[in-house]
Amino acid sequence: MTQYTLAAISFTLFALAAAGFLTAGSLVRMLMFLELMLNAANIAFVALGPGTVSRTYAVMLFAIAAAEAGVGLALIIALAPAFKTLEAGNIKELKG
Amino acid sequence: MIITAAIYIFGALAVLATLLMVFQRNPVKAALLMLTALLSTAGLYLALSAQLLALLQIILYAGAIMTLFIVALTVTPAAWRDKPAPALIRRVAGLAAAAVILAELLKLSTALKAVKTSPEFSETGTLEMARLIFGPFVFQFELLSLVILASIVGAVVLTAKKRSAQ
Repeated sequence: MTQYTLAAISFTLFALAAAGFLTAGSLVRMLMFLELMLNAANIAFVALGPGTVSRTYAVMLFAIAAAEAGVGLALIIALAPAFKTLEAGNIKELKG
Repeated sequence: MIITAAIYIFGALAVLATLLMVFQRNPVKAALLMLTALLSTAGLYLALSAQLLALLQIILYAGAIMTLFIVALTVTPAAWRDKPAPALIRRVAGLAAAAVILAELLKLSTALKAVKTSPEFSETGTLEMARLIFGPFVFQFELLSLVILASIVGAVVLTAKKRSAQ
C-alpha cells in the first residue's frame, strides 16, 4: 500500500462531497456536504501527515467544523422564515 | 494485512455512502447516509492508529453535529424544502466540476506513489499531542477558543433576534 491509495480515498470523498455541494439545492444539504468536505480534508491530514503534528491539527479542525456547523445552521434557521424557503436558488434579495 | 483490508473497507464504505447521499432526495435519509460516512471515517481513523481522533469523530461529528442537522431539519417546515430535483444541466455541470477537481488532485499527488506505507497498530500518542497543543501550538489553540466563542455568540445573536421579532 502506498500513500497514493490513502490520498485517493480522501480525494474521492472530497470530490464526491464537492459534487453534492454543487448539485444540492437546499441550504441544509449544502452545509452537510461542506462538513463532508472538511471531513475528507481531515482524513488527508491524518493519513498523509507526519504523525503527531498532523493529528494535532486534525483535532483543531474538528473544533473548526463544529463552530462552522453551529453558525451555519443558526444562519439558515434565521434566514428561512424571512424567505419562506430553504432553496439557495430562491434567495435572491439581500434585504429580505 | 487486516489493517490494510480495514482501510479499504472503511474507505469504500465512506465513498459509497457519500455517493448515495448525492443522489438521495429525502433530507432525513441523506442525513443518515452522512452519519454512515462519518462513522466509517471513524473506522478509518482507528485503522490508521488514530484512536483519539476516532473517538472525537464519533462524539463530535456523529454525535453533536449530526444532532444539529437533524434538529435543523425538524424545525424548518417540510414545505420549504420540498422541491423537484434541480435542472439536469446544473447537475451535469456540478458533477463535471467535481470530476475535474478529482482528476487534478490525483494528478498532483502522483509523486505519492513512490511513498510506501505499511499501516500497523500503534498507540495514539495522546500525551505527545497534549504536549504539542499546550507547547508549540498554544497560540493556535487559544485562537481556536476565540473562534468557538465567536461562533457561540453569533449563533445566540442570530436565533435570539428571531425570537424577539415574533
